[in-house]
Parts: sequence; structure tokens; C-alpha cells
Amino acid sequence: MTRQIVFAVTLLITFGVFFYTINRIISYFKLTRPAFTVRDFGKRFGIMMRVAFGQAKIFRRPVIGFFHALVFWGFCVILIGSIEMVIDGLAGTEKALKFLGPLHDIIMVSGDIFALLVAVSIIVFLSRRIFFHIRRFEGIEMKRRSHLDAAAALTLILLLMISLITMNMGYLGYQEATGGSIEGIYPVARILITLIPVPAESSRIIYEVSWWAHILLIFFFANYLPYSKHFHVFMSVPNVFLSRLEPLGKLTNMDNITREVKLMLDPAAPAPAPADVPAERFGIKDVEDSTWKNYFDSLSCTECGRCTSVCPANITGKKLSPRKIMMDLRARMKEKGPLMVRSRSLSGGREFNDNRSLLRDYISEEELWACTTCNACARECPININQPSLIVDMRRYLVLEEASAPGGLKAMFNNIENNGAPWQYSAEDRLNWAKDLEIPVMSDITSRGKKPEYLLWIGCAGAFDDRYKKVVRSFVKILSHLNVSYAVLGKEETCSGDPARRAGNELLYQMQAFQVIGVFKKYEVSRIITVCPHCFNIFRNEYPDLGGNFEVISYLQLLTRYMDDGKLKLDPAALKNVSVTYHDPCYLGRANDIYDEPRSILKNLTGNFTEMDRSLSFSLCCGAGGAQMFKEAEKGEKEIFIERTEDALKTGASVIASACPFCMTMLTDGLKYKNREEDIRNLDIAELVAQSLGL
Amino acid sequence: MKILVCISNVPDTTTKIKFNESNTSVDTTGIQWVINPWDELSLTRALELKDDPSSGIKSVTVAHVGTASSEPTIRKALAIGADDAIRINSESSDAYYTSAQLAEVIKKEHFDIILCGIESSDYNGSLVGGMISEFLGIPSVSAVSGIKIENGQAVLVREIDGGKEVTSVPAPFVAIVQKGIAKEPRIAAMRGIMMARTKPLKVIEPVEVDSLTEITVFEKPAPRSACKFIDPENPGQLIDLLQNEAKII
Repeated sequence: MTRQIVFAVTLLITFGVFFYTINRIISYFKLTRPAFTVRDFGKRFGIMMRVAFGQAKIFRRPVIGFFHALVFWGFCVILIGSIEMVIDGLAGTEKALKFLGPLHDIIMVSGDIFALLVAVSIIVFLSRRIFFHIRRFEGIEMKRRSHLDAAAALTLILLLMISLITMNMGYLGYQEATGGSIEGIYPVARILITLIPVPAESSRIIYEVSWWAHILLIFFFANYLPYSKHFHVFMSVPNVFLSRLEPLGKLTNMDNITREVKLMLDPAAPAPAPADVPAERFGIKDVEDSTWKNYFDSLSCTECGRCTSVCPANITGKKLSPRKIMMDLRARMKEKGPLMVRSRSLSGGREFNDNRSLLRDYISEEELWACTTCNACARECPININQPSLIVDMRRYLVLEEASAPGGLKAMFNNIENNGAPWQYSAEDRLNWAKDLEIPVMSDITSRGKKPEYLLWIGCAGAFDDRYKKVVRSFVKILSHLNVSYAVLGKEETCSGDPARRAGNELLYQMQAFQVIGVFKKYEVSRIITVCPHCFNIFRNEYPDLGGNFEVISYLQLLTRYMDDGKLKLDPAALKNVSVTYHDPCYLGRANDIYDEPRSILKNLTGNFTEMDRSLSFSLCCGAGGAQMFKEAEKGEKEIFIERTEDALKTGASVIASACPFCMTMLTDGLKYKNREEDIRNLDIAELVAQSLGL
Repeated sequence: MKILVCISNVPDTTTKIKFNESNTSVDTTGIQWVINPWDELSLTRALELKDDPSSGIKSVTVAHVGTASSEPTIRKALAIGADDAIRINSESSDAYYTSAQLAEVIKKEHFDIILCGIESSDYNGSLVGGMISEFLGIPSVSAVSGIKIENGQAVLVREIDGGKEVTSVPAPFVAIVQKGIAKEPRIAAMRGIMMARTKPLKVIEPVEVDSLTEITVFEKPAPRSACKFIDPENPGQLIDLLQNEAKII
């Protein structure tokens, strides 16, 4: 009876402390802003089963991922055994779930085996941290405390597993000595007691001591976790369930900006009084501007560093580390949250100010401006944390509230605003690329009462960049060859707003977007072909938020469709002696999962196709995305485009195929830098197809 | 101290300029109008000075001679951060007319520092700043590439041949500003754009002034002829072209 009382009191204390902690964390959540509404439970359940329970993303690194999966699955199984221990502790029973019969056997046998597997995995993890220098575990954000925290949590888990095994050994020993019936099957403990025989009289003590050690460790562990990066153990499964369901390439629309833009575009709208200017900040400066999802992400992060290890900025020595962004948000909430909660109870104020902020005191502008929004971090995160959304929201604060941005970006904003392109070119020159070609222009076609099937969107690079003009020319020749009914907007085209949006200038983006949507609607456009992946992404994923719903396809998808229908016949011997590799543009690949189309086209052109080491969803950004094209790179050890060009050179291919104007600029520059522009060519897939067709 | 920035409303620099049929006026259809780049930099520097409390700058006003059609450009200046604006409601005909109008405003409103872009990117006359100072009988400093306030006194940096000249002038004065005065033009913040709608924009009627110039006809420069490439192995061709076509040797 005493035993039960002691147990009940311990359990009560555990729950008491735990709920106290959770309550505090909930009060911090209340300081955050709304994100999305959680719907689509079926879909979410599927993602949870696949990503959390199936450990799908952790297996992107198969070997070490396997050990983690063992630990995760082990925890799930052992948890059931722990519930039984709690029942036993309260009720004074032994193996209370034995009435489950064979199911109980299964729980016990898997718990016993997993205890060993988890222990082995933890030893692997610990030795990796202690004996090997693993780059992923280092970085400016990895302070001594982070390393100690990791080691402490791993040691705790190891002790949990050892106590579980000794408990099972003791249980077997004393049941056999007393002739009691053994409930459950314990193969690992069985082998161990034959190897290390335990005197019958000590078995009972070993069992009792291990039982208490195990359960008390669990209680301690449960209350240690929320104060450690290993809060991950509780938060990761729900975080996966609460994943953002949208494509990685999509940024969240700022509805408060949409309201303003609509006011600006409506001349009849009355000018609002200064009092109407919302007090709410645009973008994120500090924790109270972040959403509950940002904070949830930060609490789930276990600092594994997979995000940082694939970040092109970090790889090339820049200050940005996506892991740090998450850790900083968590740390800043830990600092400011309690103060805000206390001040709220006094004055109800979100106005609390300690003269510090997440921006600058934790995350520098240099870090924020280093991001290429390539989404490699988000794609890599095993628990679907979305780092880029926080980075872009902080850029939004800088641009919208402080009008602060690197000089190149300010110039780009001015260009888009004044001449509708990120570069200084006149809209009058938008058809210069089409010199000597007969290109159907929308205004002519519709004035003749005709309506083309597709609108072909050229994009600013296609219109003004001398190199990419050639790509667009190749593509329209293919369109004519295939008799596709299309037209271009010509002088009515303007920037889609992508670089402005990714640089944080949501206002300029939305002004552009409404203008473009207006033109599309004027011509009753329903289907759009894009050449630029950035325009593709923004039309497909982001314009719908502003009422622009069109069927958008990439030129690669169109080519693949015609190929599959047998209308586009490619000669597999076209590039017979040419070895080709392909660089995945981030905004086709990771952002929109277009991986197969370019490969199927290329494989129809050559039998000699080689992948780079980093390809498909592992592909490395060229360095130009997220408006980096228009600014100087942040300080680092190396330029991203050189790192990526080296990837391509390693394949030995003589043609680097790409499918994005920015990637082309970067890789061509890379070849020049490496003095390889003579022997290696950087060609767009459209050019390769056109060449093979003799166009 | 109060700063006045005189702003001109000019076609965006990428504009392809077209004329009406008789070549007597600029065809303004489809033109995107912007703040004259030099004036934009002056405004940026004025706002930077105001941001620094030790400068003693209390307000930044923008003034413009033009019709209601240029109000978006003025609102842009307010969005970037000017406190208020004055528009002299008249179509400007030449630099003399414009500076006379601006001088009238300055007489009434008393500004300490008047900033004018060294030229405007449309007519590039480079006259307005100097004329304003003459109308008012106050000092003007030309080709100013730096301005700061030290102990209530303006210190100006001028670009001169082979170096820089640092000079100090008692207020009020006109500074005729060239590039370099600010690193890059300031952009408008969201809140600035929202506030700009309600910031004071005073419209005043012009005083009677005669223009001194009349535009009789516009003409475009001859298009640049295509660039000729010469094979480096063939210097004879180069000499031939320089001698017979370019006629310079």
C-alpha cells in the first residue's frame, strides 16, 4: 500500500510540474498571431503516418536515419509498456495488461528487443557527438549548452533503456526462482541472463530497483524535455500533423496589404484617416509578430542541423543557418514571453517593450538577406518545419516597415515600379527578342476575333536578357513546329512580382499581381505556359490568393505532354555523343515537384545522361533565387554558383542542361569562372529540343 | 531648421520619348512619371538629416511646379517621408519660370536649406537652383555631393577638379545637388504610403511671370549606327575604316 501511495504522489508531482510547464507554454502561444486554419484532417493524418510514424524524411539520410527510426519506433512501443507500469504502480498489480494475452506478449517482446536497439542507436549517436567531428553538429548557434543538452538527453534515454533491460532481466530471474508464471516474452533479457547469470536472491531487488529507476527516469525525462531541445519528443508528431499543406514554393498572402492595394487601385475609395492605419506590424520583427506555427516549429526543432547542412548560403560560408533561425525564435520567446505574460496581466499590453527584438538582437539582417528561398531546408526537415516562411516574414518587416533592403534590391523595386521589370528596360522593348519571328500577339489576335488556346508568358529575362532571349526563341520555334495555338502579351507584359515578393516587398508584388491578373482577365486567358520557373510558381501557387485562377503549366510539362502523345518525336540519337547533366531549378523541383519532365525529355535526347551528386530534391540552388539575382551576395567563403558549377563539372558532362533564366546566368558565370566555357556548354532544355528538331 | 526639396516630375528613365505629329510637344501617353533622380537623392539626404536629432532639422517640405497630373509623384515624395508638399499649380514652361515660382514660395515660407537637383533628367537645363538663389539674393553652392549639419551650421562638400572642396554657408542657401549626396534613393515604407494620403499638400496659384524661352521644335538624336567588329588578325581593315569611313586619320 505504501508503495502505491508513494507512486501516486510521485505521479501527481510529475503531472503537476508538467501541466505547469505546458500552461506556461500555452500562454506564450497566446502571444502569437494566427497562421492557417487547421483543416483537411484526412490529409494531415496521412502526412503524420508517412512523415512522423513512417519516418519518411529522416530516411533521406538512410544510415543514420535508420538508427533514428529505431529510436522513434522503440519509443512508441516502449510507451505502451510504460503505461502498464503506471497502472501497476497505482493499482499494486504486476503486468496489468496481461489480460490482453498474445497482444501483451507482442508489446513485451517488441519493448524488450527495441530497448536493446534503441540503446545501441543511442550509443551510436553519442559516439558521433563525442568522438567524430560532424559538421552538422557545429555552427555559430551550437553553443556549449546545446552540446550538453544533446548529451544529457541522449544519456537519459540510454539510462532508460538500460533500466528497462535490467528490469526485464530481474523479472525473468525472480519469476523463475519463485516458479511464478512469466507474462510476456523477453528474448534480449533471456540471452543476457544466460550470459550474465544473476543470483536468484538478487533478482527481485534488481527488478524492483530497475522498475523504480525506469519509471522515475520517465517522470524526470517528461519534465526535463520541455526545457530542452528534446521537447522535440513531444512536439514533433503534432508538428508534422500541423504541417503547412501548401507547396513549398508558396508564400502566405498578406491580407492586410491586399486591403491597402485594393484601396489604392480604387480611385473612388475614400482616403482613410490616419487613425485607420493599423497598429499591427507588417511582417515579423519580434516574437509577438510570429504565428503560432512559427513558434510550434521552433519548439519542435531538435537542432539536428539537416536544414543548415543543405542550405546553399551556409554551405558557402555565409552567416545564415536555418537551424539558428528556429533556435533564435525559441530563445527569444523564452526571454520575452514571460515578461509579456506578466505585463499582460498588469496592463493587458502587447505593447510590452524590453528594447530588444528577435530581429537584430538575435537574427541579423545579413542572415535574412543571405537566403535564396530555395526551400532546401524545409524540404530536408524531418518534421516539416518551415524556415523560409519566417525568413521572408522578417524581410517583409524590414522592407514594409523600415523601407530597408540592400541597395540592389531597392533599385530592383524602383525598376519594377517604374518600368515593370527588375532591370531598367522599357516595356516598349518587350518584343525585341522576337525580331524576325512571326509571334502572335494577344491584342492583335483578339482584335481579329480569335482566341488562342494558350497564353505564352515570356517573363522579363526572356524579354530582356540576351542569353535567355535565345531560349525563348527556341521555344516558340518548337511551339510553331507543334502547331500549338498561342499568343504572347508583348508590351502588355510586366513583372510578375516574384523578385519583389521574395525580397519582402509584398506591396509591390501585389500591385504587379493585380495588374497582371487584370490583363489575363481582359483577354479571358484560361491556360498559361511559362518559361520562367519563378513566374510559373507565382502564377500557379500565389495568384489564386488574389483571385487569379488559371491553369498554369511549365514549358517542360507542355513538351512532355506532346512527347507522351507522340506529337513531339525526339531523336534519341540527337545528342548521341554528348553527355548531359541537369540542374534542377528550385522553383520547378522542390517548390513544385517537377523532376520527371526534364529528365524524360533529356533521356529521349541522349543515352548519356548523368545526375549530379546533389540532384532532384537534394539539388543545390544556383544562388540566384529569392531575389539574390539582383543584389550582391552576402559575405561568405565562396559564391554559391561556383559551388554548384563544381557539382556539374564533377559529372564530366559536356552539356549542363537547365530550365531557368537565373540558373542559366549563374551556371554560365560559373563556367566562365572555372575557365570551362570553351568545352562545356550550358543550354536550356528548350534549346536542346529545338536543336534536335533542326529548328 | 526647415529644408525645402524642389522636385521635378520626369518620365521614367527607360521611357522611349515620342513627340506629337508637329514635333512641338512630347507625347505623354503611357509615360510613367517619377521623381527626378537627383531630386530623389536630395530628398533622401534631407530625410537622413532629419532622422538625426542632433541636426536640428525640424521638417522636410517638397515643392513642385506642375499641374494636378503630377500629384502621384508628389504623393510618392510624401510616402518616402517628406512632411508636407507645395504644388504651384501651373505648367512649367522653362527654368526661369519654374525658379521664379519656387522663389516666391520660399520668400513666403522661409526655408533654411533649399535643395535642388543639379539637373532634371528631362530637359537637363541645370538652371533652376542657381536662378532661385539669384531671385532671392541668397548664396548657392553648386555640385554639392555631401551635406551635414555641424553645430547648427551646414557643411557642404563640393566635387571639384581633382578633389573635393569643403565649404560652410550661412542659412538660408541653395544647395545644387549632384549624385553622391545619398548612397541610394530611399524607398517608401508601407506606413509612409498609407500616411501620404493624408499628409498636407498645399496647392497655390502661380504668380505672373513671363517665360524666356519657347520650344519651337523637338528632334530626336540620330540613331547610333551599328557597332562594327573587326577581326584582330586584320588590322588593315581597321585602318581602312578609320581612314575612309570615320575619316579620323
